[in-house]
Amino acid sequence: MMDTLRPASRDLQLQTSFWSRYAGAFFLLTPLLVFLLIFYVVPFVNLLQESFRFSYIDSQSSDGLTLYQYIKTWSSSRIGRVMGRTFRMSLLTVVITLLVSYPIALLMLRLKSKLRTIILLVIFISLASSLIVRNYGWVVVLSDKGALNVFLQFIGLTDEPLRLMFTEVAIVIALVHFSIPFMVLPIYGSLLRQPPSLKEASLSLGGSHWQTFLKITLPLSLPGVFGGTVLTFALSMSAYVTPLMLGSPSSSMISQVAAEQLLTQLNFPFGAAIIVTLTVLTFLVVAIYATVLRRVFRADV
Amino acid sequence: MSSKPPKNIFDRAVSGIAWLTLVFLLFPVFLTAVVSFNESFFIEFPPKAFSFKWYLNIANIEAIGRSTLISVSIAFCAALLCTTLAVVASLSISRYVFPGKSLMTAFLLSPITMPMVAVGIALIQFFIMIGTAFTWYSLLIGHMVLVIAYPIRTLLASLTLMNPSLEEAALSMGASKFKAFWTVTLPQLKPGLISGFLFAFLISFDNYPISVFLVRGGLTTMPIEIFNYIAQNLDPTPAAFSTLYVIVVSLIISFAERRYRIVSYSIQ
Repeated sequence: MMDTLRPASRDLQLQTSFWSRYAGAFFLLTPLLVFLLIFYVVPFVNLLQESFRFSYIDSQSSDGLTLYQYIKTWSSSRIGRVMGRTFRMSLLTVVITLLVSYPIALLMLRLKSKLRTIILLVIFISLASSLIVRNYGWVVVLSDKGALNVFLQFIGLTDEPLRLMFTEVAIVIALVHFSIPFMVLPIYGSLLRQPPSLKEASLSLGGSHWQTFLKITLPLSLPGVFGGTVLTFALSMSAYVTPLMLGSPSSSMISQVAAEQLLTQLNFPFGAAIIVTLTVLTFLVVAIYATVLRRVFRADV
Repeated sequence: MSSKPPKNIFDRAVSGIAWLTLVFLLFPVFLTAVVSFNESFFIEFPPKAFSFKWYLNIANIEAIGRSTLISVSIAFCAALLCTTLAVVASLSISRYVFPGKSLMTAFLLSPITMPMVAVGIALIQFFIMIGTAFTWYSLLIGHMVLVIAYPIRTLLASLTLMNPSLEEAALSMGASKFKAFWTVTLPQLKPGLISGFLFAFLISFDNYPISVFLVRGGLTTMPIEIFNYIAQNLDPTPAAFSTLYVIVVSLIISFAERRYRIVSYSIQ
């Protein structure tokens, strides 16, 4: 609140032209903006342009712009299948991650500060530990002679080792494991901002704990839930390393297909079209999701 | 939070799921550590004999040492440059009111949400076009785009929590603008600076999907070498490496929390 009040009073003193008024702001932003313009905006505009061109392997060729790569992307049954699988797995990851992460945030709110700091440390360390290291942990757990299969055979649940590695299940498990910190932190942040008096009022007026959660705590935490679910969804939709390490060709995700076009087929325009389609689809889903939360649940997201 | 209500079913269910999830979070890390001390050439359970040999084997893999040095240099430079750029930019965003400010903030934070493969593809095409592909510098720039949003986020949080009257006091008592910033404002930004730098460093150090497009030949990074080793070998050396990695990261984060309270700070 401070920073919205202060500059306003400063602006009263400086009733001058647009440029002299905003010169300070633009001066400080310039170094970063120049950097991002050259190495972020230009490459992405280039990528977009590339996706409207013919590549050397296409039968047709011309220097003009074309929708050929997008038609190819949308008419390919393989890409449709992989895109559908990526979407399905991402949705599943978001739902599971939300269901297991929300209780951690609620628990942290209740615990004494020492134990809470320890849980936060565990979450931060998990966030900072290498993705490859964490996926390798799941290789150790899920492989045919891995910990889980040995355990299942030991208690007699199965005679043959279960095929867990190189399946969609393994990928979703690892994606959930990867996403938990990204979900817990924003939800915990939004829970912290709720005045505890609201919850206490509901409980003292005879609301059950479940009712209080559904009517007070959950609606007020929707901005945090939105932040966590969007980040988890975007990360899962564009997951690359995890399906590469724990999946097989029959469980591949869309980033892999795009990367394969670029790294092995050297077909830049087609790979660019796939990745642009993925990015646009992800943004569309997020936009629809935000609108639903705003209109239906009146959430401030 | 002073008067705790008696335990009810809802609270118990919440605690149950929460503790199970935390166990789930630590489970693979713990089992990886167990495997890393097992003598056997393959991953096996239960472990049979204790051995340090996989830890010693890390030193034998020459590519890992070389690529780790490259990764450290890239991550350090990317984190340092990005934190510097972010301090200046977030000062502008938090101190000034200008049209399109929220749009600008969204733009500055947007690299986080871009698919990493897209960033990698866009950059490698661009670097090939301007003729600097597969160099240390282009790898550094790729990592800067990757991590720039993290220090911006932590610094914006620090700046909104900061007490501006301290700097105004310094100015009114005759300190120059630069001196007031350097001696009063900057020390207050320390937690944001440190957690921003730390996260930028760790995210860069760990990156695979952007690096894989930008490297070639002798220029490789640690995650790429570890990934290749896992793909080509079955022995538990990666388990030893993973365990070391988690131990080092835990020490760094615990130290930063103790000294600068970065964890508690980045939640507020």
